[in-house]
Amino acid sequence: MNLRRLKLRARALLARRRVERDLDEELAFHVERETRKQIANGVGPAEARTRALARFGSMTVAADQCRDARGLGFFDNLIRDVVYAGRSFRHAPLVAVTIVTTVAVGLGLVGAVFTILNSVIFRADDVRNPHELFAVERQRSANAEPEPFTRRSYEALLRETDVFADALAFGPDIDRWIDGRRVEGSLVTGNFFHVLGVGAARGRILTPEDDEPGGRQVLVLSHRAWNRYFASDPGVVSRTVLVNDVPFQIAGVMPESFRGLTVAPPDFWAPLSLAGQLRGAGDVRADSVDVHIIGRLKQGVSRGQALAALIAWDSRRTQAASAERSAATLVLEPRQGTVPLSAETMVLFTPLFFSFGLILLIGCANVANLLLARAVVRQREIGIRLAIGASRRRIVRQLLTESLLLALAAAALAFAISRLVLEIGVDAVMSTFPPEMGDIRLAVPPADWRVALFLVAGAMASTLFFALAPALQATRLELVRAVRGEVMRDARPGRARNALVTLQVAASVLLLICSAVFLRSTMASSTVDPGIRTADIVMVGVMNEPQRGIVLDAVQGEPSVASIAASWPGGLGGRKTFAHGTTGKSTVAYQFVSPEYFDVLGIDIVRGRGFTSAERNPTIAVAVVSEHVARQLWPGLDAIGQVLRLEPDPKADTREKDDPPHPSRAVVVVGIARDVTGFRLGGTRLAGAGVYMPIGIDAARTSLTMRVRGDAERARRAIAEKLSSIGPNVGEVVTLRALAGMEAFLLAIPFWLTLALGALALLLTLSGLFSVLSYLVEQRIREIGVRMALGATSREIAVLVLSQSARPVAIGLLLGGSLAAALGGALLATPAAEPIGEAVRLFDPIAYAGSLLVIIAACAGAGLIPALRAGRIDPVVALRQD
Amino acid sequence: MTRRPVPDLLPGTLDMLILRTLQTQALHGWAIAERIEQISGDVLQVNQGSLYPALHRLEHQGWIEAEWAVSELGRRAKYYQLTASGRRQLAVEAGEWERMCAAIGRVMKLA
Repeated sequence: MNLRRLKLRARALLARRRVERDLDEELAFHVERETRKQIANGVGPAEARTRALARFGSMTVAADQCRDARGLGFFDNLIRDVVYAGRSFRHAPLVAVTIVTTVAVGLGLVGAVFTILNSVIFRADDVRNPHELFAVERQRSANAEPEPFTRRSYEALLRETDVFADALAFGPDIDRWIDGRRVEGSLVTGNFFHVLGVGAARGRILTPEDDEPGGRQVLVLSHRAWNRYFASDPGVVSRTVLVNDVPFQIAGVMPESFRGLTVAPPDFWAPLSLAGQLRGAGDVRADSVDVHIIGRLKQGVSRGQALAALIAWDSRRTQAASAERSAATLVLEPRQGTVPLSAETMVLFTPLFFSFGLILLIGCANVANLLLARAVVRQREIGIRLAIGASRRRIVRQLLTESLLLALAAAALAFAISRLVLEIGVDAVMSTFPPEMGDIRLAVPPADWRVALFLVAGAMASTLFFALAPALQATRLELVRAVRGEVMRDARPGRARNALVTLQVAASVLLLICSAVFLRSTMASSTVDPGIRTADIVMVGVMNEPQRGIVLDAVQGEPSVASIAASWPGGLGGRKTFAHGTTGKSTVAYQFVSPEYFDVLGIDIVRGRGFTSAERNPTIAVAVVSEHVARQLWPGLDAIGQVLRLEPDPKADTREKDDPPHPSRAVVVVGIARDVTGFRLGGTRLAGAGVYMPIGIDAARTSLTMRVRGDAERARRAIAEKLSSIGPNVGEVVTLRALAGMEAFLLAIPFWLTLALGALALLLTLSGLFSVLSYLVEQRIREIGVRMALGATSREIAVLVLSQSARPVAIGLLLGGSLAAALGGALLATPAAEPIGEAVRLFDPIAYAGSLLVIIAACAGAGLIPALRAGRIDPVVALRQD
Repeated sequence: MTRRPVPDLLPGTLDMLILRTLQTQALHGWAIAERIEQISGDVLQVNQGSLYPALHRLEHQGWIEAEWAVSELGRRAKYYQLTASGRRQLAVEAGEWERMCAAIGRVMKLA
């Protein structure tokens, strides 16, 4: 396109009025010249002009064709449509506002879910060239051992292969206490930050010198930890803090955008060579800690080449080491600090998208109904436009442009709504989370251009959904009658309208059934008997072994404490081991407990006896078994008096310094205790042990379980205060009640979510139903007048109006109910069926019945007002109308 | 005077005729139509309503350019003239037309 044509187009676009004037003038000149010619031929002036005009044809059509010929038809029409749309909004502002808010609410909710998805899956971490980073991992397979890497193998990889420009290793996450708060850290090699190409926001990053054997005791904080735990104090660099009982110096703080190549960054990073010290086990060598390896590919080396070289290196190494089991094959997974988009992630997010999307769907259905009604009102206007020559396609395009404008406005509003929803959601969860359970790391995910793009695309898709059918419907007119002003009144509700109502009711039913199911499950889980006392139990874990004696004294001196017991490995539950009974070898869980344990937790001794106060030593060969283990090991026999032999399971039973030794000798069973079902804690079940053996109350590495008088929370606070006065990071105090309530809390989240969604869906559905019924009553006024004149009572009229919506509502109820059942069935067929089925009763009949009743009542209520209004119509007025 | 049925001008031919008419001098729209009618002896009656869309199309394709000037009536009118690429396009279309005519003529004479 050369300069002249560019200029023409620019002029046509920008100086439109002048171009139009020129066109009119040009055409007018032609007619005048033709008139002059006719006059010259001897025709009178008036007749000449008429002939000239007749010869020219329609000037409007010619002008329009000239405009089309300009080649800017699309933009031209678009601008016109936008201006026209603006004018019609000014005439009916309420309709526009209703449409915008309804669509915005639905879009905003879906946008919130997408923002979460975006921050987890799409936003790579803020490091240098994240696409060059790959993790060296072993493929998980059934028959090969997933042999993990150690520091030694990491160093060998660096030395012996040539594919990575540099590589880092990081160990498993560790849980520590800094200044009395539990924080999570990551142990990394000294070159961690250097390989990732990031610098510190304050202070300095870790260097390889920090990671020399023996290591320097420094750590680097994440931005979030610096914010939350040190109140963004700029003087935190070079400060010394106690990590459990080891002094560390804070070397620096990382910038806010750095996530440490994970979705949620740890609170601090420390050198890997300190693994031995930090894990609190003296004989675990730092070299043999399991690590993950991430490397940055060298320039010019492709992923395939690197993988081949690594596989060759690995097979050389394993052959040299042991020829017994072949290690699983290596793979190179890209690591950008995001969760890879796999089928599992999609399965997780699909129900969220689906349920939030239902709200959008219902909203769009409401808007579609609204537009259908508006189309009837605008019949005259559209009829006139069709009559003067607009093509049907043109008018449909104009109507769609109107709706698109509204949808884009809705997208802007939706962005604000999504931010609001996320803030409120995160705030609600964080403020109701029981603080003893640690610190959940939730932050409002940031929004970037992808979210904006998603909202715009969503707006366009919604426009297609709610505007297309009404637009097509609006242009299907009988022209003559429309122009004459005879508005075609839809006497019967259109099929489209009924379908929309059905859809809305089905969606509301689905959401409400889900929330009812969750409610019932929450109620059920809170009434389950765990088999032990939970209301007045406090548990103390001792972190600082040398201070154990002082801690014990402090706790025993606390007035609210009624009785204390000690247990290992924890307050509830045990370690796995093998036991020999008459049925052969089976797996049981064993636990060392002091004699007061059964009394403190209220575990009944069903037969025989507990431990006497003299039995306080693991060397004493007595044991108490649970009913379940008694039946398991000696079915049909009396367990008391039986000899129990335990065999250690090295894979499941790792030992650290000062742990009580494994009881791998024969013990005599002296008593049978009631089974302790325990409670679920986030997917795993914390049940009572099967075999109890004696230990003293002051033994090392045990936790203390105590019964308190009065309120457990107050006692917990008093004990925590006493412990912190001894020193920081001495002990950790929780109430058993909080632990037991964890599952109810986790179930409460989806309950409140689906309840909110269901209420919103029901509200939208009811408002839609109400407006449709009111509109239909309006349309059928004359018919109702005739009926009443012929003798129908108000009640019969009301029934007539209600029955119009009865069928779509009934179909919607059926559809929603069967959809919910189908979803439940589908969930049970997936591998996640077991934990879900335990926690949630998917086919609870009361939940189904209750929600169906609620919906029926609500719909009846919504329909009642228009129905009553119909019944009160004065037939004389109605018959005289229109 | 009874008029014989007017042969329909295809839009492509109208473009070619306009370009040819403008080859010698710049004219305004009415003059172009008048000239075509005169020279063809009133056989080719230009549909005046479709003349101006054609002119605007040709202008936007860059084969003619327009200028406002004072006309014989005393008021101003839009005068069109050929551009360089318009001349080239005219040559191309004229060649096509010749070929078409010769082919049709051959068929009519020899088939």
